[in-house]
Amino acid sequence: MASSNSSTGANLATPATSNGPTNGVPSFAIKAGLAQMLKGGVIMDVVNPEQARIAEEAGAAAVMALERVPADIRAQGGVARMSDPGMIKEIQAAVTIPVMAKARIGHFVECQILEELGVDYIDESEVLTPADEAYHVEKHGFKAPFVCGCRNLGEALRRISEGAAMIRTKGEAGTGDVVEAVKHIRTVNADIARAQAALKHGDGAIRALARELGCDAALLKQTAELGRLPVVNFAAGGVATPADAALMMQLGCDGVFVGSGIFKSGDAAKRAKAIVQATTHFRDAKVLAECSTGLGEAMVGINVSSMPASEKLAGRGW
Amino acid sequence: MVTTVGVLALQGGFHEHLSLLKRAAAHLKDTRPAIWQDKELSFIEVRNPRDLSRCDALIIPGGESTTIALAAADCGLLEPLRHFVKIDHKPTWGTCAGLVLLSEEATATKKGGQELIGGLDVRVQRNHFGRQVQSFIADLELPFLESIGESKAYPGVFIRAPVVEKLLTSDGPGSKTGETTAAEVLAVVAQKTPEEDADQIVAVRQGNVLGTSFHPELTDDIRMHVWWLDHALTPSFQKENA
Repeated sequence: MASSNSSTGANLATPATSNGPTNGVPSFAIKAGLAQMLKGGVIMDVVNPEQARIAEEAGAAAVMALERVPADIRAQGGVARMSDPGMIKEIQAAVTIPVMAKARIGHFVECQILEELGVDYIDESEVLTPADEAYHVEKHGFKAPFVCGCRNLGEALRRISEGAAMIRTKGEAGTGDVVEAVKHIRTVNADIARAQAALKHGDGAIRALARELGCDAALLKQTAELGRLPVVNFAAGGVATPADAALMMQLGCDGVFVGSGIFKSGDAAKRAKAIVQATTHFRDAKVLAECSTGLGEAMVGINVSSMPASEKLAGRGW
Repeated sequence: MVTTVGVLALQGGFHEHLSLLKRAAAHLKDTRPAIWQDKELSFIEVRNPRDLSRCDALIIPGGESTTIALAAADCGLLEPLRHFVKIDHKPTWGTCAGLVLLSEEATATKKGGQELIGGLDVRVQRNHFGRQVQSFIADLELPFLESIGESKAYPGVFIRAPVVEKLLTSDGPGSKTGETTAAEVLAVVAQKTPEEDADQIVAVRQGNVLGTSFHPELTDDIRMHVWWLDHALTPSFQKENA
């Protein structure tokens, strides 16, 4: 189905599965448009207004308000849920940049609450404990736009079919190890290359690949034609240094989420600024060398290869 | 001689502007070959003063104005940008965050305020319409597009958009740029909410500087880019602003 909003379509690459404007819900163009305005930027996890201000002063394009950064969720265990609305409101009052917040996978009531708070983007996130083992949130009907994690193209396109207006790699949050985020963006890129090859063999080959990847064939075809995901795609899950951020940008990400990497490090303000600079000037090795210098201790980190599968968050969702 | 149009590429929707600029240039070459066929155009991303020094005209895209201002300060671009806009008087167009940066004054900025480039004698209010859930698309009347033979409504995409809340030359403290021509309102959008029922200024021009609250770069409508290129890069404009 083509977008009914074609006059504002092509440059936005409105996904083939998105609806036009309906009943008070902003069109997909508006939802995806904010993500387009965040491109080339860094979105930082913050747990209080003070951290949000540090992030804003460092040049963050947005902040993600949450009660515990992933490294603490990992260390403390228990059920991780949506943050206290009071804390989200305090952060909204402290900064003028967009404020995002996380809801549990499938927990559409947490999403309703976050939308009511005026959160600028909802992250339906595997970092929190999933609330539904069968369904992700149906995101088309919400006024607030959604960002969702993926490990491969099929997963990204399933989320977009549900209404996600922005995608990020899952990576492995709270580890400070970028290896999983690299694996996920490389897998997405390889899957897109396969889709482009399939496109040359016609619609039958696209449908066969769509069955294999478990995604919508029209969306897959659109992705193949564009040569990229039809929405903005950020890196997330393990970015801890300016070099990590620039690595993910050079691999084709549109921007970077940094979770525990900033406020679990020695000098958060300095590291935050350095990661912003590295994301802007991601191809300029001279700038990267300068901004990587003298940052103090990075977060300690956990080596993902030594981690049992049961402790990995990326396996949550499907 | 090559004419170079830059898009500030520190953060935000710069790819979108570049793609529309290229389409607009192709359109001008097709439809107005007498003027445009032999013009050699180059479109570049601007990330440092060296890139900027190559530019004959510049677009500052939508994005986060605080982020762009901080990034510009970090890479030594703020003063060169002010020089480009206010001393060299080169054609410059800002969309959304770009409008904020090209204004002489801004309200609803982060604590402690933010750096601006200036060039437009206006005061903007950031995020005037509210948060993302209040973002919207509205049909705009842009009569000036008739000069390129197009008069149908233009799709205005407003995302956490600013508005011009005051023309500084109309009353109050007066011009900050020291320019003799005042800022001119090019477009308004009607806002009807319980708190507001007024026309909001969403496009202004003063000499070489154009600012729009909305995001032409988020549409596939090339008319604004065609119009701006046509005005910015043809001799009549350059004579006006010499």
